[in-house]
Amino acid sequence: MKRIIQLTINDKEYEVAVEPNQTLTDMLRYELGLTGTKKGCEVGDCGSCTVIMDGIPVNSCLVLAMQANGRKITTIEGLETEKGMHPIQKAFVEKGAIQCGFCTPGMILSSKSLLDKNPNPTEEEIRAGISGNLCRCTGYQKIVDAVKSVGK
Amino acid sequence: MEPRDVFLHVRGEAVFVDDALLPAEHLFAAIRTSHVAHGHVRSLDIAPAMAVPGIYEVFTARDIPGENQVGKTILDEPLLAESEVHFVGQPLAIVVGESAEAARRAARAIQVEIDPLPAIYDVRQAFAEGSLIAPPRTFSSGDVESAWEQCSVVVSGTVESGSQEHVYMETQSAFALPTDRGGVKVVSATQSPSMVQLVVARILGLPMHEVEVEVPRLGGGFGGKEDQATHWAAMAALAAWRLKKPVKLVLTRHEDMTMTGKRHPYLSDYKLGLDAEGHMLAYEVTFYQNGGAVADLSPAILERSLFHATNAYAIPHVKAVGISCRTHLPPNTAFRGFGGPQALFVLECAIFKAAEALGVEPREIQKRNLLQDGDAFPYGARVERCRQRRCWDVAEQKYNLQAGLKEVRQYNGRNAWRKKGLALMPICFGISFTSTFLNQAGAFVNVYVDGSVGISTSAVEMGQGVNAKIQEVAARIFSIRPERIKLETTSTSRIANMPPTAASTGADLNGHATRLACLDIVERLKDAAARCLGKNAPHEIEIRDEAVYASGEATELTWEKLVNLAYFDRVSLCAQAHCATPDIFFDRDTNKGNPFAYYAYGTALVEASLDCLRGTCSIDAVRVVHDFGRSLHPLVDLGQMEGGIVQGVGWMLLEEVMHDADGRLLTDTLATYKIPDIHSIPGEIQVHFLEDAENPPGIFQSKTVGEPPFLYGIGAYFALLQAMKAFRPDAHIPFSSPMTPEKVLLALYPGDRPV
Repeated sequence: MKRIIQLTINDKEYEVAVEPNQTLTDMLRYELGLTGTKKGCEVGDCGSCTVIMDGIPVNSCLVLAMQANGRKITTIEGLETEKGMHPIQKAFVEKGAIQCGFCTPGMILSSKSLLDKNPNPTEEEIRAGISGNLCRCTGYQKIVDAVKSVGK
Repeated sequence: MEPRDVFLHVRGEAVFVDDALLPAEHLFAAIRTSHVAHGHVRSLDIAPAMAVPGIYEVFTARDIPGENQVGKTILDEPLLAESEVHFVGQPLAIVVGESAEAARRAARAIQVEIDPLPAIYDVRQAFAEGSLIAPPRTFSSGDVESAWEQCSVVVSGTVESGSQEHVYMETQSAFALPTDRGGVKVVSATQSPSMVQLVVARILGLPMHEVEVEVPRLGGGFGGKEDQATHWAAMAALAAWRLKKPVKLVLTRHEDMTMTGKRHPYLSDYKLGLDAEGHMLAYEVTFYQNGGAVADLSPAILERSLFHATNAYAIPHVKAVGISCRTHLPPNTAFRGFGGPQALFVLECAIFKAAEALGVEPREIQKRNLLQDGDAFPYGARVERCRQRRCWDVAEQKYNLQAGLKEVRQYNGRNAWRKKGLALMPICFGISFTSTFLNQAGAFVNVYVDGSVGISTSAVEMGQGVNAKIQEVAARIFSIRPERIKLETTSTSRIANMPPTAASTGADLNGHATRLACLDIVERLKDAAARCLGKNAPHEIEIRDEAVYASGEATELTWEKLVNLAYFDRVSLCAQAHCATPDIFFDRDTNKGNPFAYYAYGTALVEASLDCLRGTCSIDAVRVVHDFGRSLHPLVDLGQMEGGIVQGVGWMLLEEVMHDADGRLLTDTLATYKIPDIHSIPGEIQVHFLEDAENPPGIFQSKTVGEPPFLYGIGAYFALLQAMKAFRPDAHIPFSSPMTPEKVLLALYPGDRPV
């Protein structure tokens, strides 16, 4: 039985009819077409589905859509403004932090969330900040470099 | 990577298979698999599945209109099992419903009764019982039998190397749409579009031209989508074709891990003989490859193990035997290195043991035996432009090996419970498909009247940056801005009979094909320019940085004007070209030939730290000198290097695939199967591009990079062993990867003896 929830996604108000057992990932992807949020494992291990909920990065596969009722969500589609891409997006491009790109949206949102709270993170803090996100292509070094370059 | 692509990725706009917008009417498929490793299917009752709300249809083997066969060279693999099952996770039925959830629920509801038969998981048992995928192969040179007597030291033993799950972040996925002609279009996350096309045509009983396969991009492949993306594409195609509706099939991570094969575990017996100075004289090795239940690519992977049995070393007397064993595990398959890493690991273990016997360090044996020009491999090819020794020497100097060794000694002297180890890892990897016929590719280049360019090739972009390299090739040949050039998706309707994007050949084969096609168009453009300008011969025309020059003088023509002018002059602005790697051959009867266009060389210094109380190891540094030729795209190459090293270290130290006694995968989620996360990567990776390293067979003198970096990861194992020996010189350490903390502790504290 579907229920209506209200939430803010990328500064836009939404009313969505969701199943009680539907995850936030599935709602974003299949109800709203926000497919930048990726499904890598669906059990909270890989971080590909990371979104920012009320300022905190969460695995959206572990959040029921109903739990997002009344919340404020930022997905990868919400990072770019009229002023252009967010600095962390530019840094990922410039530092070669992207190979296949599948983990990229989640990595960027974890990084953004870290930088919002701590604009000048140390390498150790960066590592902690993206420790919930798996990447199988890059070996992480260039991702760390990208986050570091925005911090400076 | 194509610049535009990376912008799509950071905006979340890049469309992977599961992201594509499908017609509203589309359906979802799910798979019912075997829960038994080996058995007779007594009954398969689909009625309970059909009773689940929202279910359209259930397909089993008898619903396949064509041939129920997905095998490649050896036709031993049904798409859907019929009367027998051969591994846990083998597909039995496809359920199609209005949601993925309903389809999965229905798949679980199918009643399957299987009478178990004896199952084999162990390669020795498989070999003893004659359960082989193909007859054993032997590569040999010299005379091993008579060489042993010349040796001062002969060591022998057994080496185990573990499996490895690919963990491409995008799971296996495909969707299929019926066409109005009674064919099907399949969008598939595959490294082998033509293979998917061939198999779908075979399954549906259609000519290949009724099946179009398109690949937008892959969220990682690493070999896991070379042969094993085909099944899901074929299942989606079967369902779509039968129901005349679009059907999507995306595996969950758990399904992907349980249904697909992985890197082959190997069990290998070795015997290595050396003279008193440490020259390796004779090497005998038998590789027992755990192929799993069907052939897949196992024979080809085993062949590469034989090619790389001697890695970077010249050994005069060699006998390498490869035995591909059929077991009741999911079919193991291609994974970065394709059998090469398993072979290199065995020889490095043998060298480690020989060093102990000779009372020297392994690096002394390694260095003494490095390949140089004129040396021959056991399969007869001679080494040319060999840079094995140069890479080693540069690495020794640049990274100051002697100082590093001293530091490690001092550290170990100061610390009782923490030890460091340092190992060198030279690598040599042949570049080409070892099946010679696969070394061909096509490119199709369109120049549009506004001067923009679209390029289709056989290459599939999976993060390895092949599109960026092809774009660079075209930009150089046309001498235009790269932004003008777009790399199209990979489609069987634009390029026929493609090889898989594999064996590190993507950039070379498709780069060369693109180069040839672009050169054709440039010739036509020069003719057109000469006609227009009226004073010059075509060979006096030059296109440089978007401008047209005649006899070195600037003209009023630009790239855009020239293209436009050529169009009105009715000149074709499209070209197709085909590339076939020259001068390679291999005779599978004699096992001799020259199968590789060239070799990748390099050396890594790997430093490990061991916590001797916890058994945990961290890699402090991996420092590499690698021969990239003249790198076509240093940022892409560096990314391949770093990613490959981390994957290799994961295979050696961290990633452990485990099954229970009934052949069920225990490590079936990313919670129980650990790939390197940010905390388990090397503290530092340094990469030095070897200078003055032209490579004539490569595209623009470059060398391709994909697989070789993985091999450096093997050095991590031996750096760890050095640290373990520093703690306990008398430790008996088995040659068994991955060397997990558990195995480290068992070796450091044998029995129940407290320290």
